[in-house]
Amino acid sequence: MLTAKTFYRWTRDLHLYLGLYLSPFVLVFAISTILLNHGWKPVGVPASPRVVDGIEIPQDLERVQGMRRALEVKKILAQVGVSGEINFIRTIPRENRIIIPVARPGQETTVSVDLKARTAVVETRETGIGDALIYLHRSPGPHNVAIRGNWLFTRVWRWLADGTVYLLLFLSASGVYLWVFLRAERRLGLILLAVGCTSCVGVIYAIVRG
Amino acid sequence: MPSSGDKIALWNRKLHYYFGLYLLAFVWLFSLSGLLLNHQWEFAEFWEKRNTVTFERVIQPPKGMLDLERAGDLIRQLEISGEIGSITTRAPDSLEIQVARPGTMFQVKADLARQRASVQQINVNGWGVFRMLHTFSGVQRTGAVERDWLLTRIWSFFMDAVSAGLMFMVLSSLYMWWDIKKKRRLGMAAVVAGIASCGFFVAGLRALP
Repeated sequence: MLTAKTFYRWTRDLHLYLGLYLSPFVLVFAISTILLNHGWKPVGVPASPRVVDGIEIPQDLERVQGMRRALEVKKILAQVGVSGEINFIRTIPRENRIIIPVARPGQETTVSVDLKARTAVVETRETGIGDALIYLHRSPGPHNVAIRGNWLFTRVWRWLADGTVYLLLFLSASGVYLWVFLRAERRLGLILLAVGCTSCVGVIYAIVRG
Repeated sequence: MPSSGDKIALWNRKLHYYFGLYLLAFVWLFSLSGLLLNHQWEFAEFWEKRNTVTFERVIQPPKGMLDLERAGDLIRQLEISGEIGSITTRAPDSLEIQVARPGTMFQVKADLARQRASVQQINVNGWGVFRMLHTFSGVQRTGAVERDWLLTRIWSFFMDAVSAGLMFMVLSSLYMWWDIKKKRRLGMAAVVAGIASCGFFVAGLRALP
Protein backbone atom coordinates (compact mmCIF):
# COMPACT_ATOMS: atom_id res chain seq x y z
CA MET A 1 0.00 0.00 0.00
CA LEU A 2 1.24 3.51 -0.86
CA THR A 3 1.95 5.35 2.37
CA ALA A 4 2.30 9.13 2.65
CA LYS A 5 6.03 8.73 3.14
CA THR A 6 6.44 6.58 0.03
CA PHE A 7 4.34 9.02 -1.98
CA TYR A 8 6.53 11.89 -0.79
CA ARG A 9 9.72 10.01 -1.75
CA TRP A 10 8.37 9.10 -5.18
CA THR A 11 7.26 12.66 -5.80
CA ARG A 12 10.67 14.00 -4.71
CA ASP A 13 12.56 11.56 -6.93
CA LEU A 14 10.32 12.13 -9.95
CA HIS A 15 10.66 15.90 -9.42
CA LEU A 16 14.44 15.46 -9.49
CA TYR A 17 14.85 13.04 -12.40
CA LEU A 18 12.14 14.43 -14.67
CA GLY A 19 13.45 17.91 -13.92
CA LEU A 20 16.95 16.88 -14.93
CA TYR A 21 15.66 15.30 -18.15
CA LEU A 22 13.65 18.42 -18.94
CA SER A 23 16.50 20.88 -18.21
CA PRO A 24 17.77 21.23 -21.82
CA PHE A 25 14.23 21.71 -23.14
CA VAL A 26 13.53 24.43 -20.58
CA LEU A 27 16.80 26.14 -21.57
CA VAL A 28 15.82 25.98 -25.26
CA PHE A 29 12.48 27.69 -24.59
CA ALA A 30 13.93 30.21 -22.11
CA ILE A 31 16.87 31.32 -24.28
CA SER A 32 14.73 31.50 -27.42
CA THR A 33 12.16 33.63 -25.55
CA ILE A 34 14.85 36.22 -24.83
CA LEU A 35 16.03 36.12 -28.46
CA LEU A 36 12.46 36.51 -29.74
CA ASN A 37 11.69 39.24 -27.23
CA HIS A 38 14.56 41.37 -28.48
CA GLY A 39 14.03 40.90 -32.19
CA TRP A 40 17.21 38.88 -32.64
CA LYS A 41 17.89 38.04 -36.26
CA PRO A 42 20.18 35.35 -37.63
CA VAL A 43 23.10 36.32 -39.82
CA GLY A 44 23.14 33.49 -42.31
CA VAL A 45 25.44 33.10 -45.24
CA PRO A 46 23.72 31.52 -48.26
CA ALA A 47 25.52 28.76 -50.09
CA SER A 48 25.90 29.17 -53.86
CA PRO A 49 22.69 28.20 -55.60
CA ARG A 50 22.69 24.91 -57.46
CA VAL A 51 20.56 24.02 -60.45
CA VAL A 52 18.97 20.60 -60.90
CA ASP A 53 17.69 19.62 -64.34
CA GLY A 54 15.22 17.01 -65.53
CA ILE A 55 12.80 17.28 -62.62
CA GLU A 56 9.75 15.04 -62.89
CA ILE A 57 6.72 17.13 -61.99
CA PRO A 58 4.04 15.11 -60.18
CA GLN A 59 0.85 15.03 -62.26
CA ASP A 60 -1.47 15.78 -59.35
CA LEU A 61 0.47 18.82 -58.17
CA GLU A 62 -1.98 21.38 -59.56
CA ARG A 63 -5.12 19.47 -58.60
CA VAL A 64 -4.60 18.80 -54.90
CA GLN A 65 -4.53 21.11 -51.91
CA GLY A 66 -3.34 21.13 -48.30
CA MET A 67 -1.33 18.22 -46.98
CA ARG A 68 -1.81 16.20 -50.18
CA ARG A 69 -0.18 19.03 -52.12
CA ALA A 70 2.69 19.14 -49.62
CA LEU A 71 3.19 15.40 -50.15
CA GLU A 72 3.28 15.91 -53.94
CA VAL A 73 5.83 18.70 -53.49
CA LYS A 74 7.91 16.32 -51.37
CA LYS A 75 8.39 14.20 -54.50
CA ILE A 76 10.12 17.17 -56.11
CA LEU A 77 12.18 17.84 -52.98
CA ALA A 78 13.36 14.22 -52.96
CA GLN A 79 14.66 14.68 -56.52
CA VAL A 80 16.69 17.75 -55.56
CA GLY A 81 17.98 16.19 -52.32
CA VAL A 82 16.17 18.48 -49.89
CA SER A 83 14.29 17.38 -46.78
CA GLY A 84 12.67 19.38 -43.99
CA GLU A 85 9.41 21.07 -43.08
CA ILE A 86 7.74 22.79 -46.04
CA ASN A 87 6.77 26.22 -44.70
CA PHE A 88 4.36 27.05 -47.52
CA ILE A 89 4.00 26.57 -51.28
CA ARG A 90 3.85 29.70 -53.39
CA THR A 91 2.61 29.39 -56.96
CA ILE A 92 3.46 32.02 -59.56
CA PRO A 93 1.22 31.04 -62.53
CA ARG A 94 2.51 33.83 -64.76
CA GLU A 95 6.03 32.45 -64.53
CA ASN A 96 4.89 28.81 -64.38
CA ARG A 97 6.92 28.48 -61.22
CA ILE A 98 6.51 27.32 -57.64
CA ILE A 99 8.61 28.47 -54.71
CA ILE A 100 9.04 26.09 -51.78
CA PRO A 101 10.74 27.33 -48.60
CA VAL A 102 11.91 24.33 -46.56
CA ALA A 103 13.13 24.65 -42.98
CA ARG A 104 15.14 22.67 -40.49
CA PRO A 105 16.32 24.06 -37.16
CA GLY A 106 19.21 26.34 -38.11
CA GLN A 107 18.87 25.88 -41.85
CA GLU A 108 16.63 27.40 -44.52
CA THR A 109 16.42 26.12 -48.08
CA THR A 110 14.48 27.71 -50.91
CA VAL A 111 13.60 25.58 -53.90
CA SER A 112 12.36 27.42 -56.97
CA VAL A 113 10.90 25.07 -59.57
CA ASP A 114 10.34 26.04 -63.20
CA LEU A 115 7.43 23.74 -64.09
CA LYS A 116 7.81 24.23 -67.83
CA ALA A 117 11.59 23.83 -68.09
CA ARG A 118 11.54 21.14 -65.34
CA THR A 119 14.50 22.71 -63.57
CA ALA A 120 14.94 23.67 -59.93
CA VAL A 121 17.21 26.23 -58.28
CA VAL A 122 18.14 25.22 -54.73
CA GLU A 123 19.57 27.75 -52.29
CA THR A 124 20.48 26.75 -48.73
CA ARG A 125 21.28 29.12 -45.90
CA GLU A 126 22.80 28.11 -42.57
CA THR A 127 21.19 30.31 -39.92
CA GLY A 128 22.96 29.03 -36.80
CA ILE A 129 22.11 27.81 -33.34
CA GLY A 130 20.18 30.93 -32.24
CA ASP A 131 17.81 30.59 -35.15
CA ALA A 132 17.49 26.86 -34.46
CA LEU A 133 16.28 27.69 -30.94
CA ILE A 134 13.76 30.22 -32.28
CA TYR A 135 12.55 27.79 -34.92
CA LEU A 136 11.97 25.08 -32.33
CA HIS A 137 10.21 27.55 -30.00
CA ARG A 138 7.74 28.44 -32.76
CA SER A 139 7.31 24.93 -34.10
CA PRO A 140 4.79 23.66 -35.03
CA GLY A 141 2.84 26.85 -34.16
CA PRO A 142 -0.54 28.15 -35.29
CA HIS A 143 0.25 29.04 -38.93
CA ASN A 144 -0.38 27.05 -42.14
CA VAL A 145 -2.12 24.38 -40.13
CA ALA A 146 -3.25 22.51 -43.26
CA ILE A 147 0.29 21.48 -44.14
CA ARG A 148 2.04 21.77 -40.78
CA GLY A 149 3.79 18.60 -39.65
CA ASN A 150 4.64 17.52 -43.21
CA TRP A 151 8.08 16.43 -41.95
CA LEU A 152 8.44 13.53 -39.50
CA PHE A 153 10.69 15.49 -37.15
CA THR A 154 8.21 18.36 -36.85
CA ARG A 155 5.62 15.83 -35.68
CA VAL A 156 8.10 14.37 -33.17
CA TRP A 157 9.00 17.85 -31.93
CA ARG A 158 5.31 18.68 -31.49
CA TRP A 159 5.10 15.67 -29.21
CA LEU A 160 8.22 16.74 -27.30
CA ALA A 161 7.01 20.35 -26.98
CA ASP A 162 3.69 19.12 -25.60
CA GLY A 163 5.58 16.77 -23.28
CA THR A 164 7.67 19.72 -22.05
CA VAL A 165 4.48 21.55 -21.06
CA TYR A 166 2.98 18.55 -19.27
CA LEU A 167 6.21 17.79 -17.44
CA LEU A 168 6.63 21.47 -16.50
CA LEU A 169 3.13 21.44 -15.03
CA PHE A 170 4.00 18.27 -13.11
CA LEU A 171 7.29 19.78 -11.89
CA SER A 172 5.61 22.96 -10.64
CA ALA A 173 2.76 21.05 -8.95
CA SER A 174 5.16 18.56 -7.35
CA GLY A 175 7.43 21.45 -6.35
CA VAL A 176 4.54 23.08 -4.50
CA TYR A 177 3.73 19.73 -2.83
CA LEU A 178 7.34 19.31 -1.67
CA TRP A 179 7.53 22.91 -0.43
CA VAL A 180 4.42 22.46 1.73
CA PHE A 181 6.40 20.00 3.89
CA LEU A 182 9.10 22.57 4.62
CA ARG A 183 7.62 24.34 7.61
CA ALA A 184 10.47 26.85 7.91
CA GLU A 185 9.87 28.04 4.34
CA ARG A 186 6.09 28.19 4.45
CA ARG A 187 5.55 31.82 5.38
CA LEU A 188 8.00 33.39 2.95
CA GLY A 189 7.04 30.86 0.27
CA LEU A 190 3.38 31.69 0.66
CA ILE A 191 4.14 35.40 0.38
CA LEU A 192 6.16 34.85 -2.81
CA LEU A 193 3.47 32.61 -4.28
CA ALA A 194 0.86 35.28 -3.56
CA VAL A 195 3.06 38.10 -4.90
CA GLY A 196 3.78 36.08 -8.06
CA CYS A 197 0.10 35.29 -8.69
CA THR A 198 -0.95 38.87 -7.93
CA SER A 199 1.67 40.42 -10.19
CA CYS A 200 0.77 38.02 -13.02
CA VAL A 201 -2.98 38.61 -12.72
CA GLY A 202 -2.47 42.34 -12.10
CA VAL A 203 -0.36 42.92 -15.21
CA ILE A 204 -2.72 40.85 -17.35
CA TYR A 205 -5.69 42.81 -16.04
CA ALA A 206 -3.96 46.11 -16.80
CA ILE A 207 -3.00 44.99 -20.32
CA VAL A 208 -6.41 43.60 -21.21
CA ARG A 209 -8.31 46.59 -19.80
CA GLY A 210 -5.84 48.97 -21.43
CA MET B 1 29.99 27.10 11.80
CA PRO B 2 28.76 26.35 8.26
CA SER B 3 31.37 26.53 5.50
CA SER B 4 30.96 28.86 2.51
CA GLY B 5 30.05 25.78 0.42
CA ASP B 6 27.24 24.95 2.86
CA LYS B 7 26.00 28.54 2.72
CA ILE B 8 25.95 28.51 -1.08
CA ALA B 9 24.10 25.18 -1.04
CA LEU B 10 21.59 26.51 1.50
CA TRP B 11 20.89 29.72 -0.42
CA ASN B 12 20.80 27.90 -3.73
CA ARG B 13 18.11 25.62 -2.30
CA LYS B 14 16.14 28.52 -0.79
CA LEU B 15 16.28 30.56 -3.99
CA HIS B 16 15.14 27.51 -5.96
CA TYR B 17 11.97 27.41 -3.83
CA TYR B 18 11.46 31.16 -3.89
CA PHE B 19 11.91 31.63 -7.63
CA GLY B 20 9.78 28.57 -8.32
CA LEU B 21 6.92 29.83 -6.18
CA TYR B 22 7.08 33.38 -7.52
CA LEU B 23 7.17 32.19 -11.14
CA LEU B 24 4.45 29.54 -10.76
CA ALA B 25 1.57 31.57 -12.25
CA PHE B 26 3.70 32.85 -15.14
CA VAL B 27 5.04 29.38 -15.94
CA TRP B 28 1.52 27.96 -16.06
CA LEU B 29 0.33 30.85 -18.21
CA PHE B 30 3.11 30.53 -20.79
CA SER B 31 3.08 26.72 -20.77
CA LEU B 32 -0.65 26.38 -21.32
CA SER B 33 -0.85 29.19 -23.87
CA GLY B 34 2.07 27.56 -25.74
CA LEU B 35 0.12 24.32 -25.80
CA LEU B 36 -2.90 26.17 -27.22
CA LEU B 37 -0.78 27.73 -29.98
CA ASN B 38 0.42 24.30 -31.07
CA HIS B 39 -3.07 22.83 -31.30
CA GLN B 40 -6.22 23.99 -33.03
CA TRP B 41 -8.66 22.79 -30.41
CA GLU B 42 -12.26 23.61 -31.17
CA PHE B 43 -13.11 24.62 -27.62
CA ALA B 44 -10.42 27.32 -27.76
CA GLU B 45 -11.68 28.86 -31.00
CA PHE B 46 -11.63 32.65 -30.78
CA TRP B 47 -11.35 34.26 -34.22
CA GLU B 48 -14.65 32.89 -35.55
CA LYS B 49 -16.35 34.17 -32.41
CA ARG B 50 -14.88 37.67 -32.60
CA ASN B 51 -17.03 40.72 -32.08
CA THR B 52 -16.49 43.74 -34.34
CA VAL B 53 -17.58 47.28 -33.55
CA THR B 54 -17.12 50.26 -35.86
CA PHE B 55 -17.39 53.89 -34.84
CA GLU B 56 -16.41 57.29 -36.17
CA ARG B 57 -15.04 60.29 -34.28
CA VAL B 58 -14.14 63.89 -34.97
CA ILE B 59 -10.40 64.47 -34.57
CA GLN B 60 -7.92 67.34 -34.47
CA PRO B 61 -4.89 67.22 -36.78
CA PRO B 62 -2.42 65.01 -34.86
CA LYS B 63 0.64 66.71 -33.44
CA GLY B 64 4.20 65.59 -34.04
CA MET B 65 6.82 65.37 -36.74
CA LEU B 66 7.25 61.62 -36.90
CA ASP B 67 4.57 59.12 -37.91
CA LEU B 68 4.80 57.43 -34.53
CA GLU B 69 4.26 60.73 -32.68
CA ARG B 70 1.25 61.57 -34.86
CA ALA B 71 -0.16 58.08 -34.44
CA GLY B 72 0.34 58.31 -30.67
CA ASP B 73 -1.49 61.64 -30.52
CA LEU B 74 -4.32 60.33 -32.68
CA ILE B 75 -4.97 57.24 -30.57
CA ARG B 76 -4.94 59.43 -27.45
CA GLN B 77 -7.65 61.59 -29.05
CA LEU B 78 -9.63 58.43 -29.84
CA GLU B 79 -9.09 57.13 -26.27
CA ILE B 80 -7.57 53.94 -27.58
CA SER B 81 -4.74 52.18 -25.81
CA GLY B 82 -2.42 49.43 -26.95
CA GLU B 83 0.73 48.76 -28.92
CA ILE B 84 0.94 50.52 -32.28
CA GLY B 85 1.60 47.82 -34.85
CA SER B 86 1.79 49.56 -38.19
CA ILE B 87 1.35 53.08 -39.53
CA THR B 88 0.47 53.68 -43.17
CA THR B 89 0.15 56.98 -45.00
CA ARG B 90 -1.39 56.26 -48.40
CA ALA B 91 -2.02 59.95 -49.12
CA PRO B 92 -0.85 63.20 -47.46
CA ASP B 93 -4.21 63.60 -45.71
CA SER B 94 -4.62 60.01 -44.57
CA LEU B 95 -3.25 58.06 -41.66
CA GLU B 96 -3.94 54.39 -41.02
CA ILE B 97 -2.90 52.81 -37.76
CA GLN B 98 -3.16 49.33 -36.33
CA VAL B 99 -3.21 49.11 -32.56
CA ALA B 100 -3.41 45.92 -30.52
CA ARG B 101 -3.43 44.62 -27.01
CA PRO B 102 -4.33 41.09 -25.91
CA GLY B 103 -8.03 40.69 -26.55
CA THR B 104 -8.57 43.82 -28.63
CA MET B 105 -7.38 45.07 -32.01
CA PHE B 106 -8.09 48.47 -33.53
CA GLN B 107 -7.84 49.56 -37.14
CA VAL B 108 -7.90 53.33 -37.39
CA LYS B 109 -8.41 55.15 -40.68
CA ALA B 110 -8.06 58.89 -40.30
CA ASP B 111 -9.04 61.44 -42.92
CA LEU B 112 -7.04 64.44 -41.78
CA ALA B 113 -8.66 66.84 -44.29
CA ARG B 114 -12.17 66.03 -43.03
CA GLN B 115 -10.89 65.72 -39.47
CA ARG B 116 -12.64 62.42 -38.98
CA ALA B 117 -11.43 58.98 -38.05
CA SER B 118 -13.19 55.66 -38.40
CA VAL B 119 -12.24 52.93 -35.98
CA GLN B 120 -12.85 49.23 -36.34
CA GLN B 121 -12.54 47.51 -32.99
CA ILE B 122 -12.24 43.72 -32.89
CA ASN B 123 -12.75 41.98 -29.57
CA VAL B 124 -11.90 38.32 -29.05
CA ASN B 125 -12.84 35.97 -26.21
CA GLY B 126 -10.73 34.77 -23.28
CA TRP B 127 -9.00 32.07 -25.33
CA GLY B 128 -7.88 34.76 -27.77
CA VAL B 129 -6.55 36.86 -24.88
CA PHE B 130 -4.71 33.82 -23.52
CA ARG B 131 -3.03 33.11 -26.87
CA MET B 132 -2.11 36.74 -27.49
CA LEU B 133 -0.45 37.07 -24.09
CA HIS B 134 2.04 34.43 -25.22
CA THR B 135 3.19 36.45 -28.22
CA PHE B 136 2.54 40.04 -27.10
CA SER B 137 6.07 41.44 -26.98
CA GLY B 138 6.03 44.54 -29.18
CA VAL B 139 8.34 42.87 -31.70
CA GLN B 140 7.09 43.45 -35.24
CA ARG B 141 7.00 40.76 -37.91
CA THR B 142 10.00 42.43 -39.48
CA GLY B 143 11.90 41.88 -36.23
CA ALA B 144 11.89 45.59 -35.35
CA VAL B 145 11.46 46.23 -31.62
CA GLU B 146 9.30 49.32 -31.07
CA ARG B 147 7.53 49.16 -27.75
CA ASP B 148 5.56 52.37 -27.66
CA TRP B 149 3.10 51.34 -24.95
CA LEU B 150 4.25 51.22 -21.32
CA LEU B 151 2.38 47.97 -20.64
CA THR B 152 4.09 46.25 -23.59
CA ARG B 153 7.43 47.17 -22.04
CA ILE B 154 6.31 45.85 -18.65
CA TRP B 155 4.98 42.60 -20.15
CA SER B 156 8.11 42.01 -22.22
CA PHE B 157 10.16 42.64 -19.07
CA PHE B 158 8.19 39.88 -17.34
CA MET B 159 8.82 37.59 -20.33
CA ASP B 160 12.56 38.15 -19.96
CA ALA B 161 12.36 37.77 -16.19
CA VAL B 162 10.45 34.49 -16.40
CA SER B 163 13.01 33.16 -18.90
CA ALA B 164 15.93 34.23 -16.71
CA GLY B 165 14.16 32.76 -13.67
CA LEU B 166 13.69 29.41 -15.44
CA MET B 167 17.36 29.36 -16.41
CA PHE B 168 18.24 29.92 -12.76
CA MET B 169 15.85 27.10 -11.74
CA VAL B 170 17.64 24.73 -14.13
CA LEU B 171 21.13 25.69 -12.95
CA SER B 172 20.19 25.58 -9.27
CA SER B 173 18.60 22.15 -9.71
CA LEU B 174 21.80 20.85 -11.32
CA TYR B 175 23.79 22.19 -8.36
CA MET B 176 21.45 20.57 -5.82
CA TRP B 177 21.44 17.25 -7.64
CA TRP B 178 25.23 17.09 -7.85
CA ASP B 179 25.36 17.47 -4.07
CA ILE B 180 23.43 14.20 -3.57
CA LYS B 181 26.09 11.61 -4.30
CA LYS B 182 23.83 8.55 -4.31
CA LYS B 183 21.61 10.10 -6.97
CA ARG B 184 24.39 11.12 -9.31
CA ARG B 185 24.31 8.04 -11.55
CA LEU B 186 20.59 7.95 -12.30
CA GLY B 187 20.52 11.74 -12.47
CA MET B 188 23.35 11.69 -14.99
CA ALA B 189 21.38 9.23 -17.11
CA ALA B 190 18.40 11.63 -17.05
CA VAL B 191 20.58 14.65 -17.95
CA VAL B 192 22.29 12.76 -20.80
CA ALA B 193 18.94 11.52 -22.14
CA GLY B 194 17.60 15.10 -22.05
CA ILE B 195 20.66 16.57 -23.75
CA ALA B 196 20.68 13.82 -26.39
CA SER B 197 17.00 14.12 -27.31
CA CYS B 198 16.94 17.92 -27.21
CA GLY B 199 20.39 18.35 -28.76
CA PHE B 200 19.39 16.17 -31.69
CA PHE B 201 16.73 18.73 -32.60
CA VAL B 202 18.85 21.81 -31.86
CA ALA B 203 22.01 20.77 -33.67
CA GLY B 204 21.61 17.30 -35.12
CA LEU B 205 18.84 17.78 -37.68
CA ARG B 206 21.00 20.06 -39.78
CA ALA B 207 23.47 17.24 -40.28
CA LEU B 208 20.86 14.86 -41.68
CA PRO B 209 21.16 14.14 -45.40
